[in-house]
Amino acid sequence: MTEKKKKESGAAVKEQMSFRLPGPLVKGLDDVDKLMASISGDLQLDFSDCTFISVEGLEWLEEMLLRAQSKGVSVSFSNVTPSVYKVFKVAHIDSVMGACGLPISGPVC
Amino acid sequence: MTTAVKDNDTSLMERVNHLTRQARLAAAVFSQYSQEDVDRIVKAMTAAAIENVEKLARAACDETRMGLFEDKMLKNFVASEFHYHQIKDKKTVGIIREFPEDNMVEIAEPVGVILALSPVTNPTSTVIFKSLAAAKTRNSIIFSPHLMAADASNLAARVVYEAAIEAGAPKGFIGWVEKSSRLRRETELMMVHPEVDLIFATGGTQMVKAACSSGKPVLGVGSGNTPVYVHKSTNVRQAAMDIIISKTFDNGTECPSEQTLVVDREIADSLIQQFKDYGCHDCSDEEVVKVAETIIDARTGGMNYRMVGQPANFIAEKAGITVAPETKILLCQMKGDLRQHKLAVEKLMPVLSYVVVDSVEDGLNRALDVNYAGGTGHTAGIFSEDEDVIEQFGTFINAGRIIVNSPTSIGGLGGIYNNLNTTLSFGCGTGGGNITTDNVGIKNLLNYKRVPRRKHFTLSFQTTKNIYINPGSIDHLRTIKTKRAFVVTSRSAARRGHLSMVLERLPQDCRVDVFSEVGAEPEWSTIEQALQVMSQSQPDTVIALGGGSVLDAAKVMRLFHDYPDLKLKEIAFNFLDFRHRMAEFPKGVKTQLVAIPTTSGTGSEVTPFAVLKDTKSQRKLSLIDETLLPTVAIIDANLTKSLPRDITSDTAFDALTHALEALVSTVASDYTDGLAFESMRLIFEALPEVLKNPTNVVWRHKLHNASCLAGMAIGNASVGVNHALAHSLGGHFDVPHGRANGVFLISTLQYNASIPHKFMVQSCYPLWVADEKYARAAQFLGLDEDGNLAGKGKGEKPNASNIKQLNLALRRAIYDLSIQCGQPMSIAELGISQENFAAAMPDLVRGAFEDMAVRTNPAVPLFEDLKDLFINAYAPRQRP
Repeated sequence: MTEKKKKESGAAVKEQMSFRLPGPLVKGLDDVDKLMASISGDLQLDFSDCTFISVEGLEWLEEMLLRAQSKGVSVSFSNVTPSVYKVFKVAHIDSVMGACGLPISGPVC
Repeated sequence: MTTAVKDNDTSLMERVNHLTRQARLAAAVFSQYSQEDVDRIVKAMTAAAIENVEKLARAACDETRMGLFEDKMLKNFVASEFHYHQIKDKKTVGIIREFPEDNMVEIAEPVGVILALSPVTNPTSTVIFKSLAAAKTRNSIIFSPHLMAADASNLAARVVYEAAIEAGAPKGFIGWVEKSSRLRRETELMMVHPEVDLIFATGGTQMVKAACSSGKPVLGVGSGNTPVYVHKSTNVRQAAMDIIISKTFDNGTECPSEQTLVVDREIADSLIQQFKDYGCHDCSDEEVVKVAETIIDARTGGMNYRMVGQPANFIAEKAGITVAPETKILLCQMKGDLRQHKLAVEKLMPVLSYVVVDSVEDGLNRALDVNYAGGTGHTAGIFSEDEDVIEQFGTFINAGRIIVNSPTSIGGLGGIYNNLNTTLSFGCGTGGGNITTDNVGIKNLLNYKRVPRRKHFTLSFQTTKNIYINPGSIDHLRTIKTKRAFVVTSRSAARRGHLSMVLERLPQDCRVDVFSEVGAEPEWSTIEQALQVMSQSQPDTVIALGGGSVLDAAKVMRLFHDYPDLKLKEIAFNFLDFRHRMAEFPKGVKTQLVAIPTTSGTGSEVTPFAVLKDTKSQRKLSLIDETLLPTVAIIDANLTKSLPRDITSDTAFDALTHALEALVSTVASDYTDGLAFESMRLIFEALPEVLKNPTNVVWRHKLHNASCLAGMAIGNASVGVNHALAHSLGGHFDVPHGRANGVFLISTLQYNASIPHKFMVQSCYPLWVADEKYARAAQFLGLDEDGNLAGKGKGEKPNASNIKQLNLALRRAIYDLSIQCGQPMSIAELGISQENFAAAMPDLVRGAFEDMAVRTNPAVPLFEDLKDLFINAYAPRQRP
């Protein structure tokens, strides 16, 4: 479920963790919360297997991203399926779209 | 409860943000739900609503002190049971409609977050109705209830919401504003909140107006003023009962309910008596004044809201009039000018005004008075057995629902008395400041995504039915069935002996008239002359003998002879697409047309085209229709043997242009390609031989066939930019058509073989293949890379690497053929001075641009392109 990599960026060496969501995201994931508590580098969430997301799942993502920001952890989402990406689009949550790679400022679509 | 926010929250804006945020997330999540998910949720909500109809009706009555508990129960049933019955099988997810004939589907897209305003008059039924509609369409909905009904409304919202959550709906998809002193302000903030996508406003005029001025899309459903015409043909007993049912329903709080009756004098007494018999009170003039003073707010001229939904006895008591216990309705006759009467407005209570009229006209006008006194777009009713009167009423009255022979209030709800969509929200169209006249429902809560597939037009192939070929085929005239023939020809045909060849072969008993006034360019005035002669002779056969002009003229003569009432301007419209053209040609012709070409160029004997000049405007008119196709074509090369060298060459280059343009046309097909290829091959082979030996009938025959084949090709694939340029140049400088075509050929081949500046907009032309087709022509002609004829079958097969070379070879071959034939290849060679040419340039370009020939060119020739093509064609050419 988790994968650890070393990411070289200039002089600093950052730790990058990746975590594959196990399926539909209908509530907060303790594994990710624990990871978030311990991580010092970046975290990538892999949505390959996530084909459904609930309101609770969305709320948890938003809250988790807020925690990450306060910790200085950069979280990114990868392999987001179109049905879940459409949920993100309709939900209008800036931080979630940011994790999908959308710049927080500037023109967006 | 996560969806409700209490008054003691930190700030109003935070409450608004919270509610809309919840709704937004729910709307996002809802987008993943399937039709099955949604239907399961709606079913659960409906069941919960039905279980609670009585409780909710009681809550509404207790809180609002309006209406009748039993009727509120019925409304709750309508909003749940009836509504569910109507929507349960409707598709609202994914593809919801298919249009196979249009090759298109509609896919549903939720509208998002709906702010729903609910009225005091129907506080629970409206909430049930809108909640079910929102769930069915996967939208979130936030209710902003009327302050006087907020607890009842919110109770209804809670009942259906909890059932929905139990069935798996997304958390927060129904929300509501709790009752508070700041409810109105909260609603105003919500109306302009960025997270609200649509306002669904049902209620009083002020509330709907506020919603409409929010800048959001609004389904605003406001007040009405229902006129009901009771025509003398109606069944009075039924009308009285239906009106009582309707006007007493929930003590008259339904906005579609009857407000003013317009009654024919013939039945007025019996109708009023029937009302009385059923327990209504007909007020005296003095009582009418008292009632009006009681129920109408003198300040606003509208109804007194304290009287809304109150029983008749209560209102009578307040008005100080004495009525029998349990009086159903207070009837108030309006005398004098209805338009000035206080009671000619909406009265949501059991007070029913009426006027007596003396005719249908009077009745319709009075109904219009009521309709336009605040009721446009809403509801109207008529009781009549006269279908004409019903139709007239429907035509003149502006109402979204015109209820016939039924109660307007319950009738307007839909489902009980008729098959209108069940609703608690009545769209009033622009008459009521709304966007729809629908009984608003699920269909108004969806965005419809149309997914049209590319149109693939059916291409057809049509040509002259009977074509007689080979030298001597003119003998076919001996077998033709005709009693009265009309020969259209030119004077030169007579000189060359062609006319006598025809006349000798026509049956002995055939009466023949000859019209030989067709000049080089047929004019409408010439056609009119011929039609005069034809009207006398009444021919059964028209024989066209000559070049393209004669054949074109004869086509038009035959058409107008068969249809003398036809107007030229009605069939000569310019068009962008043949299949959508405005021109309406008649279907079929009865006079047969025998076309005998005496030149080998236009192919007019097998095309549905005719070009003529309008005498008045001096404009060239292009007519295109299958009714212009000749019945018979006789391709007899003996008639071309005496053709002069220059005309032989000019017309052959016209045919060559036809073949080349049909080949790359956007509507070319395998059928026309084959004809074009063979035509080209015959021209390359036969033209030099004909010019060497003009009387050799075998080569003349091949050339004649080439012209006919190319004619069939353009008859179905049309021409292109080369013709547009040639028409413009030829028209301006009086250049023979074939010669004008020839000077542009090398330029247009190069132009069309280059990647277009602008691709042609044409559904049936999905791939730009002009360069490949020219390359295939080069291959078919057996050209070597230098453009020499290496022999059929010896040409190089086109591939990605040699297309340019094959295109060049084709241009070289055309250059060489032109040199060989002495055919001019530049405008300068036509004797047009540079000065005159430059002066004419704007007109030349405009003329070419407006020519219909460009419509099927593989590239859109822009103004600058056309100018360049003209300029490039001026100077004498070098071999490409």
